[in-house]
Amino acid sequence: MTDDRSLWNPYTPLSPGQRRGLGFGAVLFLLLLWGAAAALALVGPNKLPAPWKVAEAFVYLAWDAENQRSLLLTATLWSVGRILAAFVLTLAVGIPIGVMMGASPKINAVLSPLIDPFRSAPVVALLPIMVMWFGIGESMKVVFLFIGAVVYLIPMVRDAMQAVPQSHWISARDLGATPWEAVRLAVLPMAMPRIADGVIVATSVMWTYITVAEYVNAREGLGQLIQNARRFSAMDQVFAGIIVIIALALITYQLMQFIKRRLYPWETQQ
Amino acid sequence: MSVSLELKDIVQEYPRPDGKGVTRVCDKISLKFDQPGINMLLGPSGCGKSTILRMMGGVRPIGVRTPTTGTVLIDGKACDGAHDDAAMVFQRYANRPDLTVWDNVYFPFRMKLWKKKVSKAEAEKRVKEVLAAVGLPDKDDLLPAQLSGGQNQRVALARALVLRPRILLMDEPFSALDAQIRQEMQQLLVKLHEMQPCLVVFVTHDVTEALTLGDRVITLSTQPARVADDFQITEPRPRSGIWARSTEAVKMEERILNLLHAASPGMGQVRVTV
Ligand SMILES: Nc1ncnc2c1ncn2[C@@H]1O[C@H](COP(=O)(O)OP(=O)(O)OP(=O)(O)O)[C@@H](O)[C@H]1O
Ligand SMILES: [Mg+2]
Repeated sequence: MTDDRSLWNPYTPLSPGQRRGLGFGAVLFLLLLWGAAAALALVGPNKLPAPWKVAEAFVYLAWDAENQRSLLLTATLWSVGRILAAFVLTLAVGIPIGVMMGASPKINAVLSPLIDPFRSAPVVALLPIMVMWFGIGESMKVVFLFIGAVVYLIPMVRDAMQAVPQSHWISARDLGATPWEAVRLAVLPMAMPRIADGVIVATSVMWTYITVAEYVNAREGLGQLIQNARRFSAMDQVFAGIIVIIALALITYQLMQFIKRRLYPWETQQ
Repeated sequence: MSVSLELKDIVQEYPRPDGKGVTRVCDKISLKFDQPGINMLLGPSGCGKSTILRMMGGVRPIGVRTPTTGTVLIDGKACDGAHDDAAMVFQRYANRPDLTVWDNVYFPFRMKLWKKKVSKAEAEKRVKEVLAAVGLPDKDDLLPAQLSGGQNQRVALARALVLRPRILLMDEPFSALDAQIRQEMQQLLVKLHEMQPCLVVFVTHDVTEALTLGDRVITLSTQPARVADDFQITEPRPRSGIWARSTEAVKMEERILNLLHAASPGMGQVRVTV
């Protein structure tokens, strides 16, 4: 047998234990590096707070005993609520449009010049416009998240539809399906796993935009919590807030991957 | 069961890939089928067998007029475009990976066309019966990936038969299977055809298969395809090995092989069919 355990073998399967061990080690290494930098005062504490300070800030944010409240929980619920609202809107608008574009080259030719450029446009620059159109309340934040995510989702749904082999469409037609039935009963179900991938990416995009969405006049929310901490130069709280957002984004991602695998078990078996 | 299917002076031309002119694939093909028997269609690779079969099924390729000239008649009536008298089975079974065996066979009944004709209860009864008939009971909940190639082809066959078609069109349905499984499937087809007689047009490139199954064997010439030979086999099925080695069978085999060889002189006949 040849040396199949070499580093440069893209096909070596890693046991879940090995994978987790290596990943955990990398995170631990970064924490140690961070801790060392803080302990040796290589970087000023107003620039890089020590990890234990961040942990303290996290505990304080999680439960403020003096005022009997959890700033973190309230902020998280607000942010999750906004993302959930934008998520529903993004799916309700993005999937039908993407499906139609993927199912009809004509519709695609009409809509893609209107949608595709936004994928590379700085959506953040739209924020002032959003404020002018939707004011500074909740709807502005949800619409901003929606725009940011839907411009990713639509092209991904379209591509998912177009990636389905034509044979599925043809064989449905052979069995007597109308063209639209062939799309609905054959192409769309086959595109679902990739559409689900698009939904997962779009949701991740929303987590990256949440701080921007909450930049303007948010009274609550993780983004607002970070803003606020920065205003008071509470660097430890800024870091804690960022880490919470990253963690929530990761949890969402893992959860959605899990649901996707449950819904489409046949995808990997093909 | 009475059915008649007729091709009248069928000419099929396809535009050349370079856009200059057309290639004539079928040249004035006339054939008539009026018995619910098994008809085998042979011919050199790329001569237009699939084209003819799809024409019979009313399936039109995208962007090409089919047939270029000529008519397909079903029960004496010219049929232009899709019709639901025929069901098809292909070499590459078109089973949906996301649907269970049961759902794959039930699939056509989710379409308006069949919903109108067949009640839900009747459809479910038919699915159950046909799955038993093709030898796949108790596999209802499995996905295609959990089945063998032969079992998958049984599912494809079941999905065609569940529609009780008067015409069953099969395009090299068993040619991707191992020899032994292929024999099993041939026996299954014979059995099913006895149970539910219909007009079968069966494209194959396997002369033995043609002689094992066919009531009638039609051989096409190379491109542009014409009917080069057309004869009946009266030997009842299932046909024994003794018959297969008889002078009669051997003569038939040679007759077909001669035509096929004459059609493809030398090499360079490699064509990719989509
Ligand atoms: N839609 C199409 N457009 C252009 N050319 C086509 C089209 N369909 C088939 N052809 C060409 O017509 C010819 C006959 O094709 P067909 O698939 O009917 O052959 P076949 O006899 O079934 O071949 P095989 O034995 O390889 O299955 C081939 O040369 C093929 O390239
Ligand atoms: Mg063919």
